[in-house]
Amino acid sequence: MKSSATDCLLELYDEQHELEDYQSGVPRWCTGCGDNAILTAVQRLCRDEALRPEKTVFVSGIGCSSRFPHYMKTYGLHTLHGRALPIAEGVKMARPDLTVFVNTGDGDCCSIGAAHWIHAIRYNMNLTVFLHDNQIYGLTKKQASPTSPIGTKSNTTPRGSYLDALNPLSVTLGVANVSFVAQAVDWIPESLFEIVKAAYHHKGFSFVRILQRCPEWLPKSLDPWMHDPDRIQLLHHENALHLSAGLSKVYKNQLEHDPLDMNRAREIASSEHICPVGILYQNKDVPRYEETRHSNVLRTNDLVRKGFEAELDKYTV
Amino acid sequence: MDSDLQAQIAFYLTGQRSASQLETIAGRALHPALFAAYRDLTRLRYDYPLVLVEAHDDGEFVAPLSGLVDAILEKIAKGADGERIRKHVLRLEQEIRAGLAAGAGGSFSELWDAAAKSLIKSDKRQAESLSRARANLKADGRVLDCDAALPYQLFGHAWRITQLQRAHAFSGNIDRLVLKLSDILKADFLNSDAGKSAENLRSSFGSGPMDNFDFAAMSRILTKSAPKASLTASRRQRIEQLLKVLQSQKFFPAGAAGGTPYSFAFDSCGGALEAYCERLPQAIELAKAVAIGELEIKGEYSEAKHEALFASFGANGLDASELVLFPDYLVRINAEAMSGAEQHAMNEILSADLPIKVLVQSDDVIEASSLPNGHLAFALRSKQLASMALGLSSVFVLQSPASSLYQLRGQIQRGLDFAGPALFSIFSGASAAGSLPPYLISAAALESRVFPAYSFDPSAGSDWASRFSLAANPQADLDWPLGKFVYEDEAHQTVAQQLPFTLIDFVACDPRYARHFAMVPRARWSDTLKPVEQVIAGDGRGQLNTVPCLIMVDGENRLQKLIVDEKLIREARRCRAMWNSLQELGGIHNSHAERLLASEKKSWEAIVKAAASSAVPVAATTAAAPAEKAIAAAPAAAEAEPERSPDEAYIESARCSTCNECVQLNGKMFAYDGNKQAYIADVNAGTYAQLVEAAENCQVSIIHPGKPRNAKEPGLEELVKRAEAFL
Ligand SMILES: Cc1ncc(C[n+]2csc(CCOP(=O)(O)OP(=O)(O)O)c2C)c(N)n1
Ligand code: SF4
Ligand SMILES: [Mg+2]
Repeated sequence: MKSSATDCLLELYDEQHELEDYQSGVPRWCTGCGDNAILTAVQRLCRDEALRPEKTVFVSGIGCSSRFPHYMKTYGLHTLHGRALPIAEGVKMARPDLTVFVNTGDGDCCSIGAAHWIHAIRYNMNLTVFLHDNQIYGLTKKQASPTSPIGTKSNTTPRGSYLDALNPLSVTLGVANVSFVAQAVDWIPESLFEIVKAAYHHKGFSFVRILQRCPEWLPKSLDPWMHDPDRIQLLHHENALHLSAGLSKVYKNQLEHDPLDMNRAREIASSEHICPVGILYQNKDVPRYEETRHSNVLRTNDLVRKGFEAELDKYTV
Repeated sequence: MDSDLQAQIAFYLTGQRSASQLETIAGRALHPALFAAYRDLTRLRYDYPLVLVEAHDDGEFVAPLSGLVDAILEKIAKGADGERIRKHVLRLEQEIRAGLAAGAGGSFSELWDAAAKSLIKSDKRQAESLSRARANLKADGRVLDCDAALPYQLFGHAWRITQLQRAHAFSGNIDRLVLKLSDILKADFLNSDAGKSAENLRSSFGSGPMDNFDFAAMSRILTKSAPKASLTASRRQRIEQLLKVLQSQKFFPAGAAGGTPYSFAFDSCGGALEAYCERLPQAIELAKAVAIGELEIKGEYSEAKHEALFASFGANGLDASELVLFPDYLVRINAEAMSGAEQHAMNEILSADLPIKVLVQSDDVIEASSLPNGHLAFALRSKQLASMALGLSSVFVLQSPASSLYQLRGQIQRGLDFAGPALFSIFSGASAAGSLPPYLISAAALESRVFPAYSFDPSAGSDWASRFSLAANPQADLDWPLGKFVYEDEAHQTVAQQLPFTLIDFVACDPRYARHFAMVPRARWSDTLKPVEQVIAGDGRGQLNTVPCLIMVDGENRLQKLIVDEKLIREARRCRAMWNSLQELGGIHNSHAERLLASEKKSWEAIVKAAASSAVPVAATTAAAPAEKAIAAAPAAAEAEPERSPDEAYIESARCSTCNECVQLNGKMFAYDGNKQAYIADVNAGTYAQLVEAAENCQVSIIHPGKPRNAKEPGLEELVKRAEAFL
C-alpha cells in the first residue's frame, strides 16, 4: 500500500503513559475487596494499550463496584442504579470514536438493570462490560442479589435465600446477537488481565463476569474455589486464550474450548462444581448497532435544535 | 501469361491500371462485403445514439437510447395491449433517430416530445401508448449520435459527473472539519468566564419566563466548580487559520466565502499545466489544512512534533493520495491539431503523475506520409501518444474508436477515477471523407485492427495481465476477425462464406485511396484472383501467378472483385504486426509463454514416457493434467479403509483434521498425503513412545499405535498400557 506524507504525519501521534497516569484517588473499597484487583487489571490494560485518557470513558451504575470511574483518570459517568448500559450506549452512539467501558454490580446489572442488560447484549455495541459479581449488594450492606447462592443469609433473607441463583453467563449466552462472553476470577491476576484484554479487543458487546470476593459481607463464600485450584477450569484455544507455563503449572484443570462453539459454551456456563475461567463464546461477525445505524449527517447546532423542537412539539398541548 | 493476368500483376506491382482490362472504383459507392447489412444505420437498434445521463439509478453516466427505451417497455409493455405499446414506442424511437440524423438536437425528453408531437396527430391510440411511456421516462440527458462532437461531449459529461461526486465527498469532509473545529472554539468559550457569565447563561436558556431563575448564582457556581483550562493562544490562532483556509477554498463550489471556484476544463495541455502550477500553493495549503484539521479535532496535534514537519508540507508537491481530494483537470484536444509545444506539455503532465485527464481525439486515421512514396500512416500520431503513455506505466491509458465507447464506459469511469494522469485516445470516425457514417468508420477501424481498443489500468494490479486488456476487440485471438458473408451466385444458389475484415477493407471504404484498387470486370474473373488475406499471410511476393483480390458490394447490391496494389498489402502486414505485438502484451499468443509451455510440455512428456516404461503406472488423473507436476503416489485417502489388525500401527487418514501434532512430533514417521491428511509413512523412523505420544496428542484420536516392534525399547510396559486406549 502506498502511504502518503500526510498519512505519516497523521500517525505521528503516539503517547506513552505510566500506570499511575490512569490512577485517580485512593479507592474507598474495603481492604481485600476483589474490586481492587479488577482496577489494577484495567489500569494495566489502559497503559499497555496506550489508551488516551481523554478518549476513554468509564460508565457505571450504583454500588461499591460502580465507584470504579472515580478511580480512573479518564472520563467517567457514575450514573443511576441499573442504568449504566443505556447511558454507555448513548455515549457510544454519539461518540463512536471513544473507548467505552462499563462497570456494574450483580445488583446493578442483574437485578434493577436486568432489562437494559438483555437489550444491550442484543444491540451488540462496541462496549467492554465488567460485571463485578460479589453475589451480594455490598454498598447497601448485605442484601441478597439475584446471583446470591440459594440459602444465602442476608438482611433481606435472614433465613437464607429461597431461590437458585441466576447465572449471568447462561443468561447472556441466551440472548440474540451475543458476541463475547467470558468469565474471570479476581484472584488470578494473570488470567484476569488476559481476559480483560481480550474483551477490550473484541469489537462488539464484550461481557465479562468477574467473580469478585466481598470479604466484608460474604467472606467465605468463594473460598472453595479459591483454595482448590482443581475447581478452576482454564479455558484455552488457539482462537482464544493461550495458557502460560506458569499458569498451567498451578491450574491443571484445563479445557480447550472453541469460542465459536455456542452449545459447548452453554454447557460450560452451567458447570456447577467447577468454575470455568476464560472465553466461553466469541463471534466477531455479529453486526454492531452503532455501525448499522451510522449516519453521515453532520450534527450541526441547527440539526440538534430542530430535533429537540420536533420532540418537544410532540408534547405541546 | 495471358494479358489479363499481366495487366493485373502490373497493377499489383506498380499501381498502374490498364484502362482496357481494369476499371477504376472511384465514384462507385462500394462497401466492404461484411458491411452490406449496415447501410442504413437509422433503421438499426444499436449502441448509438447515446444519452448522456444526468442522474441515473445505476450510477452510469451514459446509456444507449435503445436501452432506455427498452427499460421503459419492460415496465409498461405488458398484458393485452403490450404489443401495441411496444410498436408505438419503437416507432417513436425510430422517429427520434431519424430526427437526430437530420440534425435535430436536445435532451432525450425534448426529442421525445418533438417526435411524439408529429406522431400522435394521426393516431389517438398511439397518443395513449406514448403518454404512458413518457410517464416512465426516468433517465434524461443530452442525446448524441456518433459524430465529430461526440468524444468531446461524452468525456466532458463523464468527467463533470465524476467531479460532482468528488465535490460532494469533499465538501462533506470540509463541513465536518469546519463544524468540529468551530466546536473546539465554542467549547472554549463556554468554558471561559464570559461563557459562564449570567448574561450568557440567560441567553442560552432560550425564550420564556425565566424570572425565577437566578443566573448570577448559577454563574457563580459554574465559575467556581469547573476547571480553568483554556485553549492556548497558539492553538486558537491555528484553528482560526484552518477555518479561514477551509472556508475560502476555491477548488470546489460551496466555499461560502470563496466566490467562484476554479475551472478545471481546458483546451490545451499547456493551459492545464499552467493552471495546475499556479494553483499548487493553494492546493498545498488546503491539503495541509485538512491534515492539521484532522489532527486538531482528534486532539492529536502536538506543536513539538508537528510544527516543523508541517512547515515543509508539500515541498515536494502533493502525492497521488493527497491529490485525490481535489478535482481533476480535463484537457480535450485534437491529435491533428497538436503542436510540438503541446505535445511537450502533455509529456510533462503524463510523466509527472499530475491529476490531469487528457482526451486526444483523432478524426482521420489515415495520414499520407509527407515523404514521396512513403508509407500510409494509420493513426500513427495518436497511437504513438498512447504507446508512449503505456511506456510510462503509471498512466491510465484507454485507446478506443468511438463505436466502442459505450461498451468501454466502465473503463472510462475507471480512468476518470484513477488517482493520476489518464490518456484517452479516441478515434471519432468523422473523417469527412466518403459516405459512410462515422460510427461505421470507427467500427471498421476497430474490426480491421487499424485502431484497436485497449486499456491499461495501473491501479488494477502490478502486472500486465491485470493491467492490460484487449477485451473490446472482436475475436482478439485472430489476426483478423471473421464474419459471415452470405450471397446468391449466378445460379441463384445461396453461398455462405467466412470473410476476414482486414486493413484493406478499411482503406477500401475511403474514396481518397481509390487508386490503390482496381475493379476486375466480371467477364475477366479467374482463378488468378487470390483472397487478400491469403496474400497478406504470405510474407514476400511469392510466385507471380496470382494477385490479391478483395470482395466488395456495390450500390446495386452486386458482388464485385477488386485487385489491390502491393503497397496496401505491405501496409496490411505492418498493421498485423502491430496488432500481434499488442496481442502479446494482452497475453494472446505470447511468445514467452508459448516457449515456456512448449518446454514444460516436452519435459512432462518425458516423465510420462519414463513412467510408462517403468513398472509403476501413473494414475489416470495425473496423466490428464500436463500443467501440474506429477504428484508422488501417496495412499489415496478417499479409498475405503482396509481391515486393520490391532497389531498394526495406522491412522484413520480420512478423519485427520490436519492439526500438525503428529508430523511435528516426528516428520519422518508421520507424513501428509495429497489431501493433506496424515498417514504413517515409515513406522521404523521413530520409537513406539512417539507413536503412543502422537496418539495421545492427536486432537481427534485417530492414531492407533498398534503393538511395539522393538522389544528392547525401554519402558514398554507402561507404553503398552497407555496405548491400550488407542488400539
Ligand atoms: C433506584 C435505586 N434503588 C435502590 C438503590 C439502593 N442501592 C444502592 S446500591 C444497591 C445495590 C448495589 O449492589 P451491586 O450492584 O451488586 O453493587 P456492589 O455494591 O455489590 O458492588 C442498591 C439497591 C439506589 N441507589 N437506587
Ligand atoms: S462491601 Fe464488599 S464489595 Fe463493597 S467494598 Fe467492601 S468488600 Fe468490596
Ligand atoms: Mg454486588
